[in-house]
Amino acid sequence: MRTASIFISLVIALGATLALVNIQPANARALERGILTSEHIEIIRNNCGQAQSIMTQLHKSDQLLRVNQGQIYESITSKLMAPFNSRAGLNRYDTSQLATITNNFNNNLNDYRDLYKDYDAALQKALDIDCRNQPVPFYDSVAVAREKRQAVHDKIGQLFDNIDQYEDEFNRLIEEGPISNV
Amino acid sequence: MSNDPFQLKPSEVTNEIWMRYKFLIFIGSAVALACALVGVAMILYNASGTALLDLSRPGYQQQREMIEESKQLKAFEPTGELDQQAIDEFRALYAERTKRAAEWAFSDDNVISDEELGIAETSKK
Repeated sequence: MRTASIFISLVIALGATLALVNIQPANARALERGILTSEHIEIIRNNCGQAQSIMTQLHKSDQLLRVNQGQIYESITSKLMAPFNSRAGLNRYDTSQLATITNNFNNNLNDYRDLYKDYDAALQKALDIDCRNQPVPFYDSVAVAREKRQAVHDKIGQLFDNIDQYEDEFNRLIEEGPISNV
Repeated sequence: MSNDPFQLKPSEVTNEIWMRYKFLIFIGSAVALACALVGVAMILYNASGTALLDLSRPGYQQQREMIEESKQLKAFEPTGELDQQAIDEFRALYAERTKRAAEWAFSDDNVISDEELGIAETSKK
């Protein structure tokens, strides 16, 4: 009997801890931006249906972007950078810098895939919320999705930086020519 | 021990069940195995991020038509002389690919700003 009551108390304590862990991030975000006014919450409640339909469209168009971007970035590394590095190496060009840039590009491409996955999950979470009954969690989840989208955007900027660096190094290498025989 | 000559031994009972239901047991096992494998495949499909790239799902007809064929993206030859012709070819391919990448660039985050979504404090009710 006593063991049973201890067990029940433990289960309740565990449940309460898990609930707190779940609730805290949302409240923390709301507090970070300051408490929403009741008028603002009302605006969110009234307009969130339209907001969700805009986000649904965005979700679909971003997925198309993701597929096409992924293919193009993948082709840049596998069909252009890697073959050129190999051919330049065979023709006795110093490709160490090109290899480093290609490696950075590949690392950024992997990060981009992960960041997009996070963004997609965040956007889906915002779409799944019953925003009329939960306007504040909805508002918070939109803010999270926005941050994640910005992270994807920044990562794409880094990929383009790598693309430019590669082009600069390519031009330098062609100008310099192959390593001469010693 | 029972002396009833008609009572079956436990091993005979098992045998009897097996013989009587073996077809059903086979079908049931096959269905259970198929369900388990599909479950594993679905977990991998979602966890690996493949689901994000899958535009073959219902509701993505319009997006499907706008996918660029990766087969059309020409590759540079990894072997051969690196003469002027090869350099020009690489330059052309690289410029074309960079241009395409820029065409599909992600717009900035304003598209989901509070104002755009109509959930800003200043938005109309």
